[in-house]
Parts: sequence; C-alpha cells; structure tokens
Amino acid sequence: MSNLVKVENLNVCYESRGGRVTALDKVSLDIKTNELLAVVGESGCGKSTLALAIIGLLPNPPARVMSGEIVFKGTDLIRLGQANMREYRGTQIAMIFQEPLSSLNPVYKVGDQIAEAIMVKRSREDGNPPVESEFMQKTHKIVPPSKVSKSFRYGKRISGELKDEIIASLKLVRIPDPDQVIERYPFELSGGMRQRVMIAMALSQEPALLVADEPTTALDVTTQAQVLKLMKELMTKVKTSVLLITHDLAVACQVADRVAVMYAGDVVEAANVFDLFSKPLHPYTQGLLSCLPTGSKSKVDLKPIPGSVPDLRSPLVGCKYASRCQFVMKQCLDRKPDFIETMENHEVACYLHGEKNGTHSANN
Amino acid sequence: MEPILQTTDLTKYFSVQRGLNPFSKAKKFVRAVDGVSMTIWKGTTIAVVGESGCGKTTLARTIALLTKPTSGDIVFDGRSIVNGKTNSKQVYRDLQMIFQDPESSLDPNIKVGDSIGEPLEGLMGWNKNEVRNAVEKSLAAVGLPQDSVDRLPGQLSGGQKQRVAIARAISPQPKLVILDEPTSALDASVQAQILRLLLQLQKDYALSYMLITHNIAVAEYLSDYMAVMYSGNLVEYGLTEEIMAKPRHPYTIALISSAPIANPWKRNLLQVEIRGEVPSAINPPSGCKFNPRCPYADGACSREIPKLQEVSPGHLVACHFVEKTA
Amino acid sequence: MPSLILRFDWVEVPLKSNTRSRVFSSLRLLVRNREALVGTVIVVGFILMAFLVAISILLKIQITPYDPITQNVGPSLAPPSITHLMGTDVQGRDLFSRIVVATPNDVSVSLAVDGVALIAGGIIGSIAAFRGGLLDEALMRFTDVIFALPALVLAMSIGVALGPGVTNMMIALMIIWWPPYARLARGEALRVAHQNYIEAARLSGLGTMKILFKHVMRNIVVTMLVYATLDIGTVILVYSGLSYLGLSVRPPQPDWGEMVSAYQDYLITAPWLPIIPGSIIALGVIGFSLLGDGLRDMLETR
Repeated sequence: MSNLVKVENLNVCYESRGGRVTALDKVSLDIKTNELLAVVGESGCGKSTLALAIIGLLPNPPARVMSGEIVFKGTDLIRLGQANMREYRGTQIAMIFQEPLSSLNPVYKVGDQIAEAIMVKRSREDGNPPVESEFMQKTHKIVPPSKVSKSFRYGKRISGELKDEIIASLKLVRIPDPDQVIERYPFELSGGMRQRVMIAMALSQEPALLVADEPTTALDVTTQAQVLKLMKELMTKVKTSVLLITHDLAVACQVADRVAVMYAGDVVEAANVFDLFSKPLHPYTQGLLSCLPTGSKSKVDLKPIPGSVPDLRSPLVGCKYASRCQFVMKQCLDRKPDFIETMENHEVACYLHGEKNGTHSANN
Repeated sequence: MEPILQTTDLTKYFSVQRGLNPFSKAKKFVRAVDGVSMTIWKGTTIAVVGESGCGKTTLARTIALLTKPTSGDIVFDGRSIVNGKTNSKQVYRDLQMIFQDPESSLDPNIKVGDSIGEPLEGLMGWNKNEVRNAVEKSLAAVGLPQDSVDRLPGQLSGGQKQRVAIARAISPQPKLVILDEPTSALDASVQAQILRLLLQLQKDYALSYMLITHNIAVAEYLSDYMAVMYSGNLVEYGLTEEIMAKPRHPYTIALISSAPIANPWKRNLLQVEIRGEVPSAINPPSGCKFNPRCPYADGACSREIPKLQEVSPGHLVACHFVEKTA
Repeated sequence: MPSLILRFDWVEVPLKSNTRSRVFSSLRLLVRNREALVGTVIVVGFILMAFLVAISILLKIQITPYDPITQNVGPSLAPPSITHLMGTDVQGRDLFSRIVVATPNDVSVSLAVDGVALIAGGIIGSIAAFRGGLLDEALMRFTDVIFALPALVLAMSIGVALGPGVTNMMIALMIIWWPPYARLARGEALRVAHQNYIEAARLSGLGTMKILFKHVMRNIVVTMLVYATLDIGTVILVYSGLSYLGLSVRPPQPDWGEMVSAYQDYLITAPWLPIIPGSIIALGVIGFSLLGDGLRDMLETR
C-alpha cells in the first residue's frame, strides 16, 4: 500500500481576538491507498482542522497555514492556490460533513443536486476545468475560468441517461424508492437518508479520498450502523480511501484499518487498529481506552483521566499531555517528543518509547 | 424490594393543529408516549433506551410533571402524583432532573452558588445560612472547588457545568433523579468522570436513577434495569445483564447489535441487518409499530398491538412471536 | 447526610478569570471601537446639554448668549460669526440659542418614548410568550392592531383632540411605539423558555411569574437594549417630523423640527437657517446609532 496523502509538519493557527490558537502543531500523518484511517480525539484536538486543511476549506481568515505540506499524489496541496485546488476538491478529494441538512441546499430537489454533481464530473472528463457554483466563488473568492463548462440548470426536467445515472447512484447507497426520492426536497428526508445522498454525491465523482467529518454523530445508533456499513462496502467498490474524523473510539474500532489519536493539536499515536487496541503505547491512548464504559459497573472500573485539556491559547513547552500523565518525566516538560515509528507501522510521540535522548526509566 | 416510581398506561399525546384556525379541534395527535407501564425499584438505576422519536425524553418530562400526561397514572413513593391535588413543590423535594445540554442547564446571569441554591429556596424555604451550608456540601460532593460559588457559568467548562447541574439536583436530597442524556454532550474523558461521580453519589445518598440515553454502552455500565422504547411503546423490560446477554424483542436485538463495541476483534457493526426508518409518530403503522421493519413479522403483527408478556422472571417483552428469538 | 469529603483527585484545572477583569475587558473593547466612542461622546453631549437647559429653565437662569425668543438681538439674517455662532433668523433671533434651548424636547421625547416602549413591549411580549394559548393570541393580535396604526395620522388626531405640544406628541408616540418591542420580546422569551434552566427553575418550585422576572427578563434584556438604543435615533426622526408639521411646539418656542419647517424657504438666501437644525437632528440620530452598534458589538461578542 502506498501513500495517497502525506501530511508533513503541518502547522495551522487560528487568529482570534483572544490570541493565537495553534490548532495543528507540526502534525505528520499518512493516508494510504484503499484504507480507512480514523482520526480520533476529543473536542478541540484539531481533527476537524486537519480534515478541512486536506480538502482546502480552512476559513481563511481566521485560519492560517503557517508551515508544512500536504502531499497528495505527488502534489503539495498547500502550495496550490484556490483556483488550482478546485481540480482536486469535489473530484479527487470529496468530503461529507456532520450535519447533512446544511450540506444539501434546502431549496433544490435532491435529484437536481445529484445531477449537478454528475454534470461536474462529466464536464471534467470532457477536459474542461470544473466550475464552482456562484456561491462558492463568492465566499471563497475564486475567480472563474474563462472557459465555462456545461453546468447544471436547476429546474429543468431530468430525463433519460442522466436520470438513470442518478437512480443508479441512489441505489448504490441503498435508498429505497429512488425514483420518488429524486423529486423530494432535503427536509423531507430523514437524517440517515440525507447522509446517504451526501455519500452518493461524494462518491459519484469516484474520488481517490473521501474525507468524512463526524458523518454519523448526528444520527441514531441503528442508522449509524447502516451508514458505516455502507461506507465500508462502497470503499472497496469505488476504490476510495476514507479519512474518518470521529470522537467515538468505538466507531473507529468497528470500521477503521488504521487509527490516529490526536490530543491538543498533536498526533500522539498512529497504528493499525488491532495494534492500537492490543498495545496502546501513548499514555493518552491508554487513558482514553480505560475510560470507555465497556460493561456493567460491577465488572468495569472506569478510570477517568485526571485534569483537563490545556488552553491552546498559551504556548506550551514540552509534551502537551505532561500535566495529566502518570508517567511524566523531566524531559517531557522540556521538549515535545518527536512522532516516530517505534514498532512496525506503529508511530508514537512519547519519551517512554524509543526516543533517542532520554532514559527509558519511568521513575525519575 | 419496593418501587419508588410506577407508571400505569401513561400516555402523552400532542395535538397537531390542522390549518390556520386556532380554534379547530385537533384531529391528529403525535403519540409521543403511547401507554407505558413500568416500575423503578428503590435504590436502583433504570436505563430507558431508544432512538430519536421513541418518546423517552417525553416520558421523562411527563414523569417529572413538566408536562401534563394525557392519561394514565404515576405513583411516586406510594402516592399518585397525577391528580390535580398534588402539590408539585412537595414532589420536587424528592424528584429532581438533570438535563442533556450543560450549556443551557444554567442561567448565564446567575452565579453558580445561587443556581445550586435555587431548589433549596424554592422548595425548602430555608434561610440564607442553611442554604449556604447545603450549597457548600453539594459543591464538595461533586468535586468542585468552593470558590466556584461566585463564578458565572460562562467561566466553566462543559463538564464543570454538568457538575453544577448535578449539585443543584442533589441539594434538596431527592429520592429519585431523572438523568436525561447526562453525558451525551461531553467528551469521552469527561463522560467517564461524570459517570463515576453519579455512581458515587448514588451510594452516598441512596438515590434511585432513571437514566434516559441512546448510548447502549453507558446504559449497560450504569444501570441495573433496562427499558427499551420504540415509537412511544415499551417493547422490552428487565435486568440489564439479561437483556444485554440475550435480548428478545427484534428491535432490541437490532439496537444492541448496532451499538459500536470498542473492540476491533468484535466487529458487530458490519453484521447488522436492519432496514427501514423510525415510523411517523402521527400515523404509526397499525398493530405492532415495529412490524414493517421486523424480520419475524407475521399475521397478527399488523393487526394487534402486542402486550408485555413475561418470558422469564422479571423479563418482559411485547412481541407476538417472541419465541422466535429464543 | 453522610459526611462528605472531597474524594475526587481529578478536580479540574482552576476556573477562568473572575468578574472584575471581564468588565474591564468589555470596557476596553468599547474604547477600542472608535465609532462607538464617537457615538457615546455625541450622546453624552446631547443628554448633558438637555439636562443643563432643563435645569436652567427650572431655575430661570439664562445659559445661552442670547434669549432664544427675543427678537432683534442681532441683525436679521446674519450669517454665522463670532457674535452669533450660528447666525440669526429673519426676526433677528440668535440661532445658536434657539438650537440649544430646543435640546430637551428631542432628547426627552426620544428617551421617554423609547423607554416606555421597551418596558411596555417587553412585558407584554414576554407574558404572551410564557403564558401562551389564548392570552398569547389576544396580546399579539392587539399588538398587530396598534402596529397597523399610522404614526402621523394618530399624532395629528391627538394634535386635534388634545392640542399640539411636546407632551402630547410624546403621548402619541408612546401609544404606537411599543409593538416591535413586544414582538422582539416574545421571540426572545420563546427562545429562553426552551432553555433547560427554565425547567430546572420549575423543578425548584418557582412559579411562572417568578421565573419570568428572575430568569426570562434578565436573559432577553440584552437583545432588547441593543434594539432600543438603535431605535432612539428613529424616534428623534419621527418626532422631528411631527414637529416639522407643526404638531409640537407653538411658535415662538424653538424646536429643531419646527425650525426646519419655518426656515426651509431660506434655503438659498440664508442656508445656515434650515441646514443647521437639520444637521443637529442628523447628528443626534448618528450618535445614537453608533452607540447602539458599539453596544451590540460589545455585548454580542462576549
């Protein structure tokens, strides 16, 4: 498996009136081809920022990429301007969000919106550069190319070949009665159905990477199971890699091939899902695992992690987890540990494991 | 064991107005709670689980007398609290509630200490000193520093706010506390802190809990009994351990198997087979509401609403063909 | 109750900064916002001037360089100069003195009307929201009816019925100014009513009225105050319009709107006469608008 995306030393800050917050602190991560990588972390750890950075939708201001690169199929996406990013966004890198009601335009029928996605793909295949909608152009200050490609006109009756393609994509995501759903508006569908429509639209482009930011958090448990199962199946059919952002470690367990754990703007551990659970190396990962309720109270002793996440506005020296870590050593407070591969395909940022400078004794 | 609360055929219907006429008699109803009878045993925790639209939140609010039930009875600590004669102030000394969203649980303009003392002033009629002492004790019990008394909620984190809400609920020393999704809005590590706190408080104050949640893992951890709701009806009731080990109602089976387990070797999620969506609450399917989605549905299912029957001591299931899941 | 000890060692990081520094940072924000500062200066200036004039009238002291009503204190239609800062009108009256003395009219009418509208509308709207049902319908439809009344027509009718004058115009405006506040209060109160702390207050045994005053009012007051501050400028404009139509003061008493009307014929020959009163009105409106904007920025970014 080769690297589809290689994030290298990515540093993203948010400038606000309260100060500068470092959302991603020199983060490095790989996404391989045909794998589902789950990025897990609690609120404020930077996982959503990472997803937005990869797809190039960071709100700019207040977010700023200070340094680092995101290499996708050999091209550094950071260096590309907005205009060139459009070659990739929506076509090779697709994204689905948490709240599907705000991802779908509520005033247009579902069928029309899928048709637009398909038309964009067709026009790309014809060799024309993809045209963003007027709204996207205005909000992201994108200059439209001089050669305008065929875009979809809302309100026109969909028929024939286009309609068949739309129905096929809806069938792919197991939506019942697709010919009726085409005529519906987003608010008439349930949350689960809307999310499936989003997946249909995203995958109709046959992207190399699908970024899913908490796609099932707003859904019921049974609907979540259906949607996750669907995503997993479609991954193999469409040959896409999936970057799944989630706060739910259990969800990551169920569908991921690899898992990366984030804390306060750092990736602290990344490994194959089985290795992560059988041999969690970073104390935060261990803490996270031992505070999940996995049985009845009489059998399970929940061990919450003491303390709380540090304030990212004040610059922190050393390992950000040091204030809560039971294995903290002096060097943890001096310098942040590097994110290195200590075992086969298992990377961790911790002085307890494999750092050159510093002893391995935990009793300092 | 004696019951602390019992509901008998409790229903709550919301009328849906047709058209613009404000005086028209509504002909359609949202059957949020459609005849629920259950028992909460003293000193135990019951988890009422279900997905959105099943009516568990409405059930909780009806029991807490925040909305008037349409019909049915609620017997709390031996007395019926549904008739007009009940003084709700009396009830609230023994029955309190904690809500899902810690952000909206506290008035942003009122100091933490005053928020915690609110039920004491309103229900007990204590003087300022007694209230202050009780607030101090409550803060200590939930693990917050004493100087929180003068803080405003805006200065607290989500987990801290939830602790304040808990402190407020236990300050009048109630017997039953209803917990409406107490940790759904919190991160995993904070959730663990709050769950442990709730367990500790239950021991210290001999509390009974009614936990409303859609999170099966939390329900399994915290509760002794479980009640599964679907579209306003109670479909399964019994000991949590029994139901988790061997769920009998087809919906419960689907629900529990959909709950993601934090174990990559037990990939239950990818084997789940459930089709369809939650039915409309205004126009539910006739007969058993789950029948359009049920893999075992047959004959009587679309005609008759099944009643709760005992499949083993204390384990009740509402299904015509419950023997199919044995 | 069992003895309670602080049993948890995972007490979280100390809480954030206390109240005093928050107030200071809010004030700092206001100062940093230059427009709001300008607005505040203008508003404070107007209000102080109104106070001074009102007191001087009470104590029968003249604080203006000339008596505003006396004619021929200077040459007729003299342009602004050292002796007459804003010039004189056709009857030789000093314009500056007239402008100054007219200040309490607009300021008091706008503040009074706005204040009454805020309180009356606020109470009506929040009661309607909280009680709901038939009372809500009745109050809101009553609000709609009042809202539909045209300001000018009503003011003129009152002018005919009670006679012209500042107080009568104030009454006329008070009658019709409150409906938007009732609507706003109702919307805000509905939003607040769904917050969990309201239900917690019920669970604490508080009655509906007590909840309304303890919780609901405090939480809707910010939005309403911002709207009210921005609205004062509008009252000034409408009152000036009524005064322009002659419904307010009787000559020779000065009033800004009345002055614009009386002097409009001199726009070419003695432009300072209509322009200065008009500009003062505009300045008042701008001042209150800037202050309202600043207040909104300060309160809504907290």
